Amino acid sequence: MAQTLAVETHGLTKRYRTGVLAVSDLNLSVRTGEVYGFLGPNGAGKTTTLRMLSGLLHPTSGTAVVAGASPGSPLSLTRMGAMVETPAFYPYLSGLDNLRVVARYGGVPASRIDPALEQVDMEDRARHKFKTYSTGMKQRLGVAAALLKDPQLLILDEPTSGLDPQGTVEMRELIKELRRDGRTVLLSSHLLNEVELTCDRVGVITAGRLVAEGTIEEMRSRGGHALLIRATPLDQARRLVEAVFSRDRVSEQDGVLSLQVDRSQAASINRRLVADGVDVSELRMSEQSLEDVFLQLTEKAPSTPSPSGGGQGGGAS
Amino acid sequence: MIASYRAELLKSRKRWANWILFGILVVLLLAFGYVLSYVILTHPPRNFQSRIPASVLKRETFPENLLPNVFSSMTSLGAAIMIIMGGLSTASEYGWLTVQTILVQKPGRTSVLLGKLLNLAITTLLITIAVLAAAAVTSYILVSIDGSTSSWPSTTTLLKGFGALWLQLAVWTVFGMFLGIAFRSTAAAIGGGLTYLFVGEALVAQLLRDVSGVKEILKFLPGVNASAVNASFPLSYRGSEAGAPLVSAGRGVITLVVYLVIFTLLGLLIFQRRDVTGA
Repeated sequence: MAQTLAVETHGLTKRYRTGVLAVSDLNLSVRTGEVYGFLGPNGAGKTTTLRMLSGLLHPTSGTAVVAGASPGSPLSLTRMGAMVETPAFYPYLSGLDNLRVVARYGGVPASRIDPALEQVDMEDRARHKFKTYSTGMKQRLGVAAALLKDPQLLILDEPTSGLDPQGTVEMRELIKELRRDGRTVLLSSHLLNEVELTCDRVGVITAGRLVAEGTIEEMRSRGGHALLIRATPLDQARRLVEAVFSRDRVSEQDGVLSLQVDRSQAASINRRLVADGVDVSELRMSEQSLEDVFLQLTEKAPSTPSPSGGGQGGGAS
Repeated sequence: MIASYRAELLKSRKRWANWILFGILVVLLLAFGYVLSYVILTHPPRNFQSRIPASVLKRETFPENLLPNVFSSMTSLGAAIMIIMGGLSTASEYGWLTVQTILVQKPGRTSVLLGKLLNLAITTLLITIAVLAAAAVTSYILVSIDGSTSSWPSTTTLLKGFGALWLQLAVWTVFGMFLGIAFRSTAAAIGGGLTYLFVGEALVAQLLRDVSGVKEILKFLPGVNASAVNASFPLSYRGSEAGAPLVSAGRGVITLVVYLVIFTLLGLLIFQRRDVTGA
């Protein structure tokens, strides 16, 4: 049975009037009920994409369906909560009044405010003015505002930004709780560890293009596996494997040979080395980390013409 | 739209800047338009020279001249305050980036802006009532202190004056709101609006009023048309021959309504179509 999609884009493109191509031909699919990590370096086009999905930016071309409706339509907005780029509130109002304002705009009953504050652990400071809040507290209030509508889909841009370690753990737990409730979460981040711990699937964007998409495991396997060989004498071992495999698949670091081959070839390589009189003290597969894959993917892609990715001052990241 | 209006109401009610602007408006109106005028004209300096005696001039602070006296202050002071208030209502949303917080809630962009317009319309209405009431009370106190007699304008005249004042304040408020949307900057919106009001309208209109060709252009400016409307509420002791308006009061009202519609539609159009980018 085909899985329903909470977010789906086809050829989504955003070119600013300045000519900067912030997002190019983006085909994204976020499945209902999953936590999807949107990864990319600064200026890759993450925030521009999230802005388009929230209806804040009009795409230059392409289409998107967000929570079953077109981005920015009342139906789509009713079903989603979003915190894009930075938690923006009225500095002269308290956190509580800010949520009242947001609730009124969203047509949400005021009775939803207390549970939302409780979810982000902000009850104690709710009556203080927003301008007195720390970055972490602003972030929490932003998430509370996104939760007010009790949405099916949450779009969170760098939700752990500015949070202390305790706050980061709590945010991670909150996201897991949201997933357990059956909600879909689309979050952007450049913190790979966070993404590995919270996301079911990830998409990697760089220079405005989606260069990879899949589960964490799939992403790790994209980088291929390396067979690590610790052997004596190492030179002889290197000559032997280079004779069988091309030179560019073999590297050496800290007395360990690294060979870009599939796991299935490990046994035959071991036999060959032993047969030629090489003492093999260690032979194991090394999986690349998400960080390695991320760096490979983002370094391969052509550089974007503008580091901001937002020609109009849009803080795309 | 009603949901947006309720949100706007909460924001504007709790915003000190709005109350301060309102306070400045009332205090300056009463201080300069009434109390100081009355004191100076009651005890004129020795070198006081005027075609009309001070004892007659001070009657501008009495109830019979409620409307023309309020209008003379509100033409520049009221317009300036309302441009600032209108500019703050929209430009601040861009400055604080709260526009994106609003727009990711349920109402569409049109509803958000219509809610803002409704709130500004009601705020302007309340300011109009408050200004006229404060001026009326002060003029009553002054005429009582003076021991003179004066009459109130007729109900019809009062209603017409009330409508004219509300219309003018609304036009300047929507002008400020439009500038806030167009510039997305509080400083640019307020600076641009006040520069237009005090340089574009007042200074240029005064200096170039008799230059051929310019006069025809002036007939289309909001300030000139507002002045024409104000001139239809003359002072009790002075004929309407003083500073004859460039257009009739009727044309003035129509032009102001057209400006109200144009600024509203332009604001809506820009707000609808423009991308909301970050800081």
